[in-house]
Amino acid sequence: MADEQDRLLPIANVGRIMKQILPPSAKISKEAKERIQECVSEFICFVTGEASDKCHKENRKTVNGDDLCWALSSLGFDNYAEATTKYLYKYRVFERERANQNKATSVEDKDEAPRFDKGVQPGKEIDTTPASLQFRVLERGRTSLAKPS
Amino acid sequence: MRQPGMYSGMLSGGGISGRTGPHLLPLARIKKIMKKSSDDVKMISGEAPIVFSKACELFIEEITRRSWMMTMQGKRRTLHKEDVASAVMATDVFDFLATLVSDSSGSSRGTPPAAALEQ
Repeated sequence: MADEQDRLLPIANVGRIMKQILPPSAKISKEAKERIQECVSEFICFVTGEASDKCHKENRKTVNGDDLCWALSSLGFDNYAEATTKYLYKYRVFERERANQNKATSVEDKDEAPRFDKGVQPGKEIDTTPASLQFRVLERGRTSLAKPS
Repeated sequence: MRQPGMYSGMLSGGGISGRTGPHLLPLARIKKIMKKSSDDVKMISGEAPIVFSKACELFIEEITRRSWMMTMQGKRRTLHKEDVASAVMATDVFDFLATLVSDSSGSSRGTPPAAALEQ
């Protein structure tokens, strides 16, 4: 039973998303929700398979967000690809800012260049342009905290 | 250094933060389903389930919208699984679901038919 449910997204979550776009007076049968639950899982497998094939061809082991965005476009879900690409970009900026803050509040006196982009999670591809800005922030932090321990 | 506008904007947009909080779909479950899709899928980056949480939301919205159009064509107010099947058949990009929705017994669920009558 538990195994069965593991391959589906929770029906409550699915139902909530469905309700959000239907008129308030609309009703949804339980079977319809279940059917859409199954469709979503099939969608995940379908897109993952395509992304995984791409990684395999390129000799990469990790399926990342860009692979999924590419797969969505490749399979005809262009509008999803565009929306998720923007969403992924925002997520990366958010994570970078958060890592930035964590570094600034708990600065250790390291001589190494900031490497919080690496070693966080393998397979994450983040462009280096903002890293130079973050580097400046660290320098500022280190200077202000340059006190004898 | 916080920029509340940016974060709250993202969070209210069903965005990104911590556990499953503002996400509409559980990331851990998404990851499980991805892994089960194929033996070839071994490693998944942390951001992959996040991409899917958005993509699945869009998918559910689209398939629901299209199914509801079928419901309205039948002059009904309750969306049934047959409406989902009709929507799939009418949409090229949902071809991969054709076999799934045509399986009218839905026996793979393991749920006894009587349970479906319980609301």
